[in-house]
Amino acid sequence: MNAVEVRNLSFKYKDSKEYIFKDVSFSVRPGETLAITGRSGSGKTTLCNCICGLVPRLYKGELRGEVLIFGENIKNISIGDTVTKIGVIFQNPSTQLFSPTIEDELAFGPENLCVDREEIGLRMNEILGIINMEEYRHDNPNNLSGGQQQLIAIASTLMLKPSILICDEIMSWIDDEGRAIIKDILLKLKKEGKTIILVDHDNENLDIADRLICIGD
Amino acid sequence: MINIDPRTKLIQVLILSTLALIYNELSLLSLILIAAIIIGLINNVDFISIISRLKKLLKIIFMIALIQSLLTNMGNPLLKIGNFTVFTDYGIIKSLEFILRMGIIIVSAAIITTSSSREIIQGLIQWKCPYEIAFMVSVAIRFLPIFKEEMTDMITAIQLRGIDLKKVKFNKKFQVYKYILIPITVNSIMKAKELAAAMEMRGFRAYPERTSYMVLKMRAFDYILTGLSLGVALLFIFMRGAI
Repeated sequence: MNAVEVRNLSFKYKDSKEYIFKDVSFSVRPGETLAITGRSGSGKTTLCNCICGLVPRLYKGELRGEVLIFGENIKNISIGDTVTKIGVIFQNPSTQLFSPTIEDELAFGPENLCVDREEIGLRMNEILGIINMEEYRHDNPNNLSGGQQQLIAIASTLMLKPSILICDEIMSWIDDEGRAIIKDILLKLKKEGKTIILVDHDNENLDIADRLICIGD
Repeated sequence: MINIDPRTKLIQVLILSTLALIYNELSLLSLILIAAIIIGLINNVDFISIISRLKKLLKIIFMIALIQSLLTNMGNPLLKIGNFTVFTDYGIIKSLEFILRMGIIIVSAAIITTSSSREIIQGLIQWKCPYEIAFMVSVAIRFLPIFKEEMTDMITAIQLRGIDLKKVKFNKKFQVYKYILIPITVNSIMKAKELAAAMEMRGFRAYPERTSYMVLKMRAFDYILTGLSLGVALLFIFMRGAI
């Protein structure tokens, strides 16, 4: 069974005349790292939002086709189950972080899923170890560099233990050093067997992928 | 450093702001402000840094007080130029009331800021406030610096195009601010939507209940402070009855 299967997906935003993409179909095997590329405005972010169910839950429009996550239509999966299956890291790290300390930021997701505090503490220690930021746990995320903020965004998503990770142009706001660190972490996660969808318009950031597809013209 | 529970601070602030609203007497308002400053000092409020950060706001408060005083004709005249009454005793008293009230509100806000937004949320949740409302308040507060940042960026962009806002006449300046208000609002709405997406993808409102990694515990000192605050509030109410 495929981790993600997108079948004939088309989407048009509310009040828009044109489809942002039409009849997109592809699948991602469990443990595979798939890169999605395309020019700016080709609908890469919208496609990510369709895969994780934010379309049509948060972003309204006309959606055709279907998205299956481990064989189940995303429309039929509750928010609680969706976030343990799919984790999304967005482009802008600063709008993803809203808590006064990194500890609070990391705890936010598991708290929503009613995970008990001992388990949250264990996950936090493990994930801060993976991203090598244990000493920052009481710091304010706003005081970190763009790269460090993106690492915290990745860590916050990993706290929910998703099987699939969607990275939507996560390296576009950060410098070369930050990119190298993030790529290292993604490689670690790949070795652990996570299914990764890596979206970027810069092919240099996609060299860790097993396969590449292009959407748009 | 004394670590006070955010719920104790919330009770203190609630008492201070309520007393500031119900009293008009200058003597009582001054006493409330002094009490607020003492509570602020117990809560480790850094008054020097707050005064330097709020310089502009303090100037506006004094300006409003002055205008209010100039526009009030009631009471006995204290200063007259020809037939025009500049200051009256009633006008001065009303302006001082306004300054004292604003002072109490500023000190109350400063007391709250000594706890992090997450601690305040947790305090409200442990008071059985629905967590959605508690987070809504916190996210709304988070948006104030975003608005300020957007405003600064827009003004810098305008200045980079050769418009020196300091040299622009007041009526034109007003027009410039009117133009930048739309992009600021649009950008803020977009950021709010991105934030909503990030929160949703971390399971916000997935279930009616949620657990908390942070747990607040009221200690003996918190109970003493809460009791003292309520006692002082009752004393004030009794004093008003006596006046």
